[in-house]
Amino acid sequence: MDHAPTRSSRPALDDLRRSLHTPLERIAVEHADLVATVRQRVLAGESMPSGAVPVAAFNSSI
Amino acid sequence: MACRCGSPGSGGSCRRISQFVLKVHSRCDLSCDHCYVYQHADQTWRGRPVRMPPATVRAAAKRIAEHAREHDLPVVHVVLHGGEPLLLGAAGLREVLADLRAVIAPWTRLDLRIQTNGVLLDEELCGVLVDHDVRVGVSFDGDRAANDRHRVFAHGGSSHDHVRRALALLRQPAHRASYAGILCTVDVRNDPDRVYEALLAEHPPRVDLLLPHATWDRPPDRPGDTATPYADWLGRIHRRWVDDGRPVSIRLFEALRPGGGGTEAFGLAPADVLVVEADGTWEQVDSLKTAYHGAAGTGFDVFGQSVDEAARHPGVTVRQAGVAGLSATCRACPVVDRCGGGLYAHRWRTGSGFDNPSVYCADLRRLIDTVAAYPPPGHAAGSAPPERDDWPVDELLDELATGHESERTLDLLAATQLSITRALLAAWREKTGPTAAWELLAHLDGAAPDAVRAVLTHSFVRPWLVRRLGPSTRSGPPRAADPLPALAVVAALRAGVPAALSVPVRAGTIMLPTLGSLALPYAGGESVDVTVLPGGFRVGDGPAEQVVSLDPAGPPPAGWRPTRRVPVPGRHLLIEDGDPHRDCYGQPVASRLDDGAARALGRTLADAWGVVHRDVPAHAAALDAGLRAVVPLTPDPTRPLRSATARDAFGAVAVTPTADPEAMAVLLVHEWQHAKLGAVLDLYDLVEPNSATRIRVPWRPDLRPPEGVLQGVYAHLAVTQVWRSRADADRPEHQDAPAHAARYLSWTRDGADALLASRTLTPAGDRFVGRLRHALEETRVGPG
Ligand code: SF4
Repeated sequence: MDHAPTRSSRPALDDLRRSLHTPLERIAVEHADLVATVRQRVLAGESMPSGAVPVAAFNSSI
Repeated sequence: MACRCGSPGSGGSCRRISQFVLKVHSRCDLSCDHCYVYQHADQTWRGRPVRMPPATVRAAAKRIAEHAREHDLPVVHVVLHGGEPLLLGAAGLREVLADLRAVIAPWTRLDLRIQTNGVLLDEELCGVLVDHDVRVGVSFDGDRAANDRHRVFAHGGSSHDHVRRALALLRQPAHRASYAGILCTVDVRNDPDRVYEALLAEHPPRVDLLLPHATWDRPPDRPGDTATPYADWLGRIHRRWVDDGRPVSIRLFEALRPGGGGTEAFGLAPADVLVVEADGTWEQVDSLKTAYHGAAGTGFDVFGQSVDEAARHPGVTVRQAGVAGLSATCRACPVVDRCGGGLYAHRWRTGSGFDNPSVYCADLRRLIDTVAAYPPPGHAAGSAPPERDDWPVDELLDELATGHESERTLDLLAATQLSITRALLAAWREKTGPTAAWELLAHLDGAAPDAVRAVLTHSFVRPWLVRRLGPSTRSGPPRAADPLPALAVVAALRAGVPAALSVPVRAGTIMLPTLGSLALPYAGGESVDVTVLPGGFRVGDGPAEQVVSLDPAGPPPAGWRPTRRVPVPGRHLLIEDGDPHRDCYGQPVASRLDDGAARALGRTLADAWGVVHRDVPAHAAALDAGLRAVVPLTPDPTRPLRSATARDAFGAVAVTPTADPEAMAVLLVHEWQHAKLGAVLDLYDLVEPNSATRIRVPWRPDLRPPEGVLQGVYAHLAVTQVWRSRADADRPEHQDAPAHAARYLSWTRDGADALLASRTLTPAGDRFVGRLRHALEETRVGPG
């Protein structure tokens, strides 16, 4: 939660939706750009913290 | 196992039906001349009871519940239909809805809908529909001239004002969550621009456009001299819609795009729908009534036959047969994947029955081409931002900003998360090369997609893949780290498909995601052979082999620690205290709970679920749609109420196992906001990257990065809504609610204002926070 990570281009919503209808074995070929973008965007070191959104301080008064 | 019906996998004779149309009232207060119930060939309505008797409602509900249980359906959709279902009146409607929930909801998530002409809708009926979480579709054909061409009272009077009043009621904030959309029947004599504008003016979450019912015996009106008037008329609306940046979801156009998924009217997806008439008879889809008298009948009823028996009727099975169930012309057609032969009823011709293309064939071919060709590549649609070429991003973000998302938006978020996991899996396959586990998983993806989906939506698959694909293991992970064998075994178990694989062992245990873990009786070995058997699996072979039965009624197998499923209203949650990849929350997770503690947590969660439904139904719908697992955190007496969400683990939240359902409800709502926003941030940049700005917030003493503030504000918006609701209810146990509501309001408002002033938001982020700020004012919190 405490990160404002550097972002590469995002996976396009349309590509994500279309790839759901692509058989698993053809995703790497038919959606090579998507796989590359997801790797860049999601994997550690490129963008987001894989870590937590700890919120203890937010809800301590609940 | 995925299905207890005894059929192998999802093929064979297993016919899962997830949509049920209940004709709860068989008369109508309008007299529309295009209605297939009264005006077309079938006249069976004349011999049916006026309203569905309570005993019939309960019998139908029991059949549906039995089917959901047998097939382990994650959700069933029940649509109240008619005639006009609102003729039941508020009391009658309440009774029907309560019966359906009481009987079905213990077994599956129940998605309730109603399709109405809207004429009778008033505040009281809206209240009933909102209370029972029913989504309302309204039939409305556009501008006054268009609507009144067909949709009139028996005396010929206009229904236009009545329906518009109903739509205005549904737009009110208190009812908005129940507004599903508008169903508009096409008449090519109407002006498409005026119809489009009239539909948009009602701000529906979704529009569906319906071709008028027709058959080869009774072809559609084709005024004018064009060969494809329906494609031309719809093409005109499609062009306006694209040029406007797709300001509303139009189901017809989305379904016809490549990969659009189809509807009952298009595409090759199985038509898994059955109708229950007012007298309890099982029927096939209603639109068949346009074909011939009795065309929809099965000869079965809810008292004598189960859903499975009705689903084996040839008229139902043929519509589940994909391309094999179509005419030779359609099977050879280049657009059959998108068209699917059109609506089944539209294929009817006396003599050849349904073995024909659609009577709209020429229009469908042309419309599919039109939808595919516009916008042409490089076309800038209107003044829309670039994202709009993909999807109405503004609509998506606007909905999410308010905390009142449509089911479509929630489904879309979940689908994108699954897609990301599948892309990571493909990346893993590229890294490891072909393996037996990959081959099995890829095979099951085609043969038993539900089983593969059930395992790939498990919250800790992505953390697993991220760890294995991340920089620290890029130089060749050890084989024991391969996630694929366990995923493939679970998918095979769920599909009931025999398989044998070598599965990695970790700390003397094999982990089968979503099902449980097995502590092996012997030490040593990096992997063990696992053979999938009917109802269970075998590990090892020879003298060391062990057979594990997954039958919950059987004796517990030695060493087997099942992932516990706890019932919450309408569905089950997993208590995930075994998956090793659940340790992604930045704080210690509890080890496996004993049975008593798991039961206690299950009770708290079930009660908390009820509390969320009571306090904030819109957030309850979001939880219903997406939360699948709860991870217990290690208790810490100094901080008894803690919770967390991990960006990579969509679908799960971590909580300390408090016994207080009221507090748990707030934790769940709070965390689910983080989960939704995390999924949005996978898709859109709301905060400028690389900003070094830090922002002062009211809830912490230290300066915060913008994304942290955004997450805090979004979670606090929902918590404000919870406390506001409790303050409004004025319960003795919540005397402190107004103070909590005021505090969270001021935190959210100040945090949002600080973000808006910080110049750290992207244009999309600016809009998102602006809408959130607006939604905050609509929570009607008094002076904060
Ligand atoms: S366009 Fe015509 S031939 Fe092709 S699938 Fe549709 S109805 Fe059949």
